[in-house]
Amino acid sequence: MKIKVFISVFAVVLGLAAGFYFLRPHTFHGTVIQSPEPSLDFNLASADGQVSPSDFRGKVVVLYFGYTFCPDICPATLANVGQALRNLGSKADEVQVIMVSVDPERDTPEKLAEYVAQFHPSMIGVTGAKEQLDEAASLYGIFYEKTEGSEATSYLIDHTATLLVLDREGYLKLVFPFGVTSDEIADDLKYILRQ
Amino acid sequence: MSKAFFNGIYALAALLVLALLAFKVFQPIQVLPRMRLAPAYNFTDQDNQPLTSETQRGRFTLYSFTYTHCPPPCYNSNETIREIQSRLDEVELNGIAVSFVTISIDPERDTPDVLKTYGESFGADFAQWKFATTTNRELLKTVVGAGFETYYEDKGGGNFALDPGFVLVDGWGVIRSEYRYVTEVSDADRILRHLGVLAEEAHNSTGSAKLAYEAAHLFLCYAP
Repeated sequence: MKIKVFISVFAVVLGLAAGFYFLRPHTFHGTVIQSPEPSLDFNLASADGQVSPSDFRGKVVVLYFGYTFCPDICPATLANVGQALRNLGSKADEVQVIMVSVDPERDTPEKLAEYVAQFHPSMIGVTGAKEQLDEAASLYGIFYEKTEGSEATSYLIDHTATLLVLDREGYLKLVFPFGVTSDEIADDLKYILRQ
Repeated sequence: MSKAFFNGIYALAALLVLALLAFKVFQPIQVLPRMRLAPAYNFTDQDNQPLTSETQRGRFTLYSFTYTHCPPPCYNSNETIREIQSRLDEVELNGIAVSFVTISIDPERDTPDVLKTYGESFGADFAQWKFATTTNRELLKTVVGAGFETYYEDKGGGNFALDPGFVLVDGWGVIRSEYRYVTEVSDADRILRHLGVLAEEAHNSTGSAKLAYEAAHLFLCYAP
């Protein structure tokens, strides 16, 4: 009898631990957004033609707003994203990274294609007219403005350095702050890909 | 497998269901939904200084929308803001700053000087309460109409149609609550309560407690 009681208690404790482990909410490394509407579907130019986030329904889309003359933040963030894609292995095929340049004066689609390929071959770079970029940036919460640079850079662009993740249906799911690591990005992307 | 083992599994399942039900019913933790990203903007305030979405990062911001030529009886949003401002000490904000930003939808007439005179007319404290707009009409429409989802339309002749309201944005730039002035009573009590809920989450949602807050979001334990 005592053995039965012991087994029952053990099973409950074990089950509770297992239940808690499997049912616990995933702790995201970014801010989760519960938007009831799909996010803005912009249409911007890449080296291979026009690109919209909706072209990749069924994939998780990662958006990053920056520019190729960006001295530090953009290459650091894109390098982390590229590493996160490599960490994902074959699952990376289900993720599309799009870099939106907020510097259309200097970033042609061709130049952007060359730039993003340094970080991962699957990344796409897009840009467009200022009005299009103003709308897209504003509605994705990205502030940007020209500031004075050095002689070499002529001007710089201050911009919000967040990474945005859209789920397979095009809903904004997650916002990563600047400084998130490649492991943290990969961890959250894996979870979103499982959903 | 013994019968006792399966009894244990059933007991576990029942316990889990009960725990989830209790969490949902009693809502030990309440949160505000993370609705969508607030729009980014670069406006000019009543002192002719830039006011951007980035300057609001790290603080809670209550946005409202108006135009100074709004004929009386105009929406009473300024009175609500004044009441909230005067009662902020009732809320445990854990050191998080609160700002008020009133955006004018009439940039042609609402120059910085006009906005300043307007704010002064009812004693607004400009250190905490900014009045701002932009002459870039397209961007204004994007920010107010599409971003804050506040309807307005220039009817010509200086007249506007406006569906006024308040939008509460957290320190991460995420919209956490909306108060439609013409469709529901948006009293200061409710907004003050929501500021307290936001501050509590920002302060307590760390370490293992973060899991409980995420569960509250997951089970839609939203503060009324």
